[in-house]
Amino acid sequence: MEEERLQAIIEEMWPRLKRKHLFPEIPVPKVGKVVDLSVDEQGMDDSAERRVGLEMKEKQMTINPAFLSTLKGKMTEENLIEALLDHGITHYTFCPWDFQTHLMLYAEAKKVMGDKESAKQAANYFIDVIADTHCVKKRATEIPELHRNLKKGAVEEVIASLYQKIWGIDLGISPQGKEEKGRAEIVRRLARIPYLDRSRWTESIRKFTRSLKPLLLLAQQEQEARGGKGDSNPQGEHDMNHYSYEEIDDGLREYAQKTMGLSEFREVVEDFSTELKEMGYGIEGGMGRGRGTHIDADILFYMKLAENYSIPVKRLPLEKTGTLHPHSHSPWEVGTPFQDIDIWTSFGKIMPGITQTWKKKEGKGRGKIEGTPDCLIIIDSSGSMINPRKSLSYAVLGAACATNAYLRNNSKVAVYNFSDAPMGGREILDYTENREDIYRALCKYFGGGTALDLEDIMPLIKGKKELDLFIITDMKITNLETLIGFFGKIQNRITAVHIGENPYASRFEKAVEKRKNINIFTVKKKEDIPHIVLGSIREYFNPMNKNR
Amino acid sequence: MKNGDLKKKSFHPPVSKPNTFSNPFEEFRTFHFRKEEIPLDRIVQSAEVVMDQIRLGYEKLLEEEAKELVWMVQYNTIIKAYEVAEKYIKEIDYSAEDIEDFCFALENTQKIPYLIPGPAGIYISALCNYAKEEEIVLKLSELKTEINLIGFRLPKGKRLMVEGDTGDFTGIGLEGGEMVIEGSSKNWTGAGMRSGKILVKKNIGLHTGEWMMGGEIYVGGRVRGLGNIVEGKVFEREKLVYPGKARNPNIYY
Amino acid sequence: MLVVEKNGYQKQVMTLYRFISDHLYFNRPDIEVKGETYNSVILFSLLTGLLKGKELIIGEPGLGKTTSAEFICSLIYQFPLGVIWGSEVSGHPEQTEEKIIGRPDLGKLNRGEEDVVWTNFAQVPVKIVDEINRLPETKQSMILDGVDRGNWEYLNEMIINDEYCLFATANYQDGGTNTIIAPLIDRFDVIVESRYPGPNLSFLIGKSRRKEQVLRHPKYEKALHRILKSKVAYEKKIPKLEEVCDAFGEYVEETTGIKPLRREDRNHIRTEIESLELDLDASAFTRMVLAELSFCDRYGQKRIVENCEEGCHYTGYLCRQIKNCASNRLPTSIKLFAQGLAWLSGDSEIDIEHVKAIMPFTFSHRIQWKDEVISQKERAKRDDPFQIFLAKEAVKTVSQRYREQSDHLKDALALGSKIFQGESLEPLEGDHPIYAEIKKDLLRRRNQ
Repeated sequence: MEEERLQAIIEEMWPRLKRKHLFPEIPVPKVGKVVDLSVDEQGMDDSAERRVGLEMKEKQMTINPAFLSTLKGKMTEENLIEALLDHGITHYTFCPWDFQTHLMLYAEAKKVMGDKESAKQAANYFIDVIADTHCVKKRATEIPELHRNLKKGAVEEVIASLYQKIWGIDLGISPQGKEEKGRAEIVRRLARIPYLDRSRWTESIRKFTRSLKPLLLLAQQEQEARGGKGDSNPQGEHDMNHYSYEEIDDGLREYAQKTMGLSEFREVVEDFSTELKEMGYGIEGGMGRGRGTHIDADILFYMKLAENYSIPVKRLPLEKTGTLHPHSHSPWEVGTPFQDIDIWTSFGKIMPGITQTWKKKEGKGRGKIEGTPDCLIIIDSSGSMINPRKSLSYAVLGAACATNAYLRNNSKVAVYNFSDAPMGGREILDYTENREDIYRALCKYFGGGTALDLEDIMPLIKGKKELDLFIITDMKITNLETLIGFFGKIQNRITAVHIGENPYASRFEKAVEKRKNINIFTVKKKEDIPHIVLGSIREYFNPMNKNR
Repeated sequence: MKNGDLKKKSFHPPVSKPNTFSNPFEEFRTFHFRKEEIPLDRIVQSAEVVMDQIRLGYEKLLEEEAKELVWMVQYNTIIKAYEVAEKYIKEIDYSAEDIEDFCFALENTQKIPYLIPGPAGIYISALCNYAKEEEIVLKLSELKTEINLIGFRLPKGKRLMVEGDTGDFTGIGLEGGEMVIEGSSKNWTGAGMRSGKILVKKNIGLHTGEWMMGGEIYVGGRVRGLGNIVEGKVFEREKLVYPGKARNPNIYY
Repeated sequence: MLVVEKNGYQKQVMTLYRFISDHLYFNRPDIEVKGETYNSVILFSLLTGLLKGKELIIGEPGLGKTTSAEFICSLIYQFPLGVIWGSEVSGHPEQTEEKIIGRPDLGKLNRGEEDVVWTNFAQVPVKIVDEINRLPETKQSMILDGVDRGNWEYLNEMIINDEYCLFATANYQDGGTNTIIAPLIDRFDVIVESRYPGPNLSFLIGKSRRKEQVLRHPKYEKALHRILKSKVAYEKKIPKLEEVCDAFGEYVEETTGIKPLRREDRNHIRTEIESLELDLDASAFTRMVLAELSFCDRYGQKRIVENCEEGCHYTGYLCRQIKNCASNRLPTSIKLFAQGLAWLSGDSEIDIEHVKAIMPFTFSHRIQWKDEVISQKERAKRDDPFQIFLAKEAVKTVSQRYREQSDHLKDALALGSKIFQGESLEPLEGDHPIYAEIKKDLLRRRNQ
């Protein structure tokens, strides 16, 4: 009954709220029980049910009626609901807006705080300050009234003082004794931060966290002394279930591309690995993997980064059979042959403007099905190449792009990862469609000498009628002549990508320059490797350019 | 041939002057944006203005003192640079937080193209010395580079607390002020200081107190080496190491 | 569903909507506007019929693409289904101009005289081209002018349709389909997908066969065919057709209780619709989207033959993600359908929600996305077909940009207006392509 009444209030105010925020694409909020994630089941009691006013789960906002009752008499219900919804909507429309921004803010906060929980807290406070300030500045809102009436801990008091200063609105926070000097200094620092300038959020959150750090550490200590988790945010927590699976997927991809930093990405993914696994997010989408499976952050990094370089799925080409058949009509002109005239559509008349003639076309059908061939990737992981698990390896990224392209076209990929192969420094993965296994093989790093063993490669090529080869190396291979000889004997399409100019590369180029099936690319900047790989693949996949 | 009945609509083109174009923004003519300002806008804007002034002062210092971006640490260059810095700083109305922001702005090459550690440190020292506040806290633990020459001529009555590590010549020429370094400092800490107190919570480098004329240096961690101290005291982990048992300068432990 | 009453026409149209939805075209709602949910096919088809628009309906075979268009046309224009069936053009390679537009009068031709017998398709105001992508490209080119302006020419004779709407259906690409040529696809105002209604509704469809009988009347169909076949000038046929159509409309009202629209109703509705204007936010937002779909800093405008360079300042905008330039028909379509939707919702002004609701359907068929964008998003979870999904995502993205800078943009446009009038002011700066475009317009003005 109560819930219905509140729901009616929400539905009545929703069109106005939507208009106020320029029509965000979120559904009508609901009224219902909100789970306080900061309290475990044993700690759940009456008061825990009333702590959180708003929950946002995959864009669905839920107002907690129990929370509303705690502020009865201090604020009207309508104003309170509107304030909570204004806050929630602004999280969607302004900050953090997407998962990538959230990750970025968290990562920056962690650089200052050093540990996951306090970094999350700092990021949450920062996000809330931005959302509330944006709302107060740009829209008519009851958020200040809400803050005036909320119960506050030490950090919340400082935040409220900050709001007083930057909004110019009295929230009832008055100076209190000896703590005031320290607090005033923190507020002074916090007030200088340009919260509403999105382009500076990276440096702003660092400043914010730096200033708030002592208070956050103190609060953490007090929490630990109390033996429980901290007080929950009445305006709702900011965690993973704000975002849908796809938003997380997109966010990780954008974050990988933005940072281009393996260690940064790894750190963030490892910090959130529990939450990601609980949402069923694994490397390959989590289906059937279940909880408890470790997410390899390095592999995930290359996967997400390679997605930014992908090319789309190629449609299966139709083979022309070679025979002509009547297809459509075109007007007959004087001088053009008679034999294809269609008497029926010409009404029995032979005259320009009336007579129609058949246009014939080659028949199309699926004669021999030409799919995309499989691909063998030969990747060099000798000491002269970058360790992909330590820093971004464009060689591995290029190989990842090739992998994606072939897998998307329903082909299989095999990997020959070599260093000093005769001494055992090699990893062979047979043809497979399992993306994770392929990436794992690509990311393996030996760091030793550089020598191929053709005995390893031959079984992978034998028996394969159509096969593309990609070799990515710096060409400083001790048995280069053997490789050259081998390539001279095979007819497969080969793309060789080598980094930098050196005598070995020149030797290789010279030796194979007459072979039409071998394309060599010298890459001056490592960043060009993915583009080169994709360029070759585009050429291969476009039937117009087939040279078989 | 029978012509089809073409319906001709009567069409009167609008009477218009030659070469007149209709205003594509006409509908916005009456829009008037009432810019809502909150105190945050003013605060941020004034902080930006001050930062620009401080940045300009630094650039002028570099122009005058670091020709071709080379600057050698010598007694006379330090004095000269400080005088130039003073000249520009006196005209700026800034706060302690502006100094900290400037320290971070130095690392951002988009804002400040050149970070030359010597003049930068002198400039920051001048900013600290002329700040209105008696106590200045600089939270520099996230800075990637350590600032040299910080605390130069810090006067009596001023307290400078640095969270993080500092570079060479920390507290050089201290003139009665108090410096607290929440991290470590490098070499020549307290060189030429006349009076005052330097407290380094972690470790300190070589040539500590070189030509020190007075004052005290407290080190919470290890002292890598002492310099030629004229007068004053140096404490290592609350134990007096100078004046103390005869000890050669720069003992390498 | 609640409908705000203005003078009854909205209610009448919504009654038609409900009738189609409940009895003829079983469906699920898939679009929400102002708190009301609609099925996009019925909604956009109704608007297309009212607004004299052109709609492309795509979908899997057998999901009601053609039948939905037929029902709409029958109720909006009061034509019995038999006539509509007889005037449809079906797309196949052996279509000829004579089957689509008109043919010589054979009797007269034998006597040495030229006269044109126009097809029903050319004459009736409701035009349905079934499986348009099975027409060879040469035949697609042939109907361009007719589709665009309602002008049908054959043997130096011409008829002009003053009032017409066009529906074309297309299956997804298979071995027997061609691409719809770019000039033709640009002429469609909107694209919608006729979706699978789910097994339960689909089962219901199977049970309720011959439901379209309510929209048939052999006597009126015969009469209309007779008029269409008659050797009378086209302009003289129209009032006769309308007379029979009105009679058919009365019949439908008697049998079903719902009132189809007469010509004067349609004219009144169009007058009402045309009076609606975009509010400032809707206008500014539309301009912002158009800017992103056409701007190129390096080459002056987007062109399909030119590639983006690395390191372009505008990398984050839609212009980076697309290959071609938005045509001038796009803003016309946006305004037209936004007006229609606002009218139907009973609003006195077109706001940004109307624009956002219809926009993806107006440009998803007109935009060619780059490979990188396609490959990144083609496996995303969605309910819409891929091209409409991409368009919706694009609108969402621009909408967020707009939310952040709406005031600044409107200010820039207001300032632009003043500068255009001759005031010596400086245009506002901004990062978005729209600000660059405003400057270009003002510079052009200054140079006169």
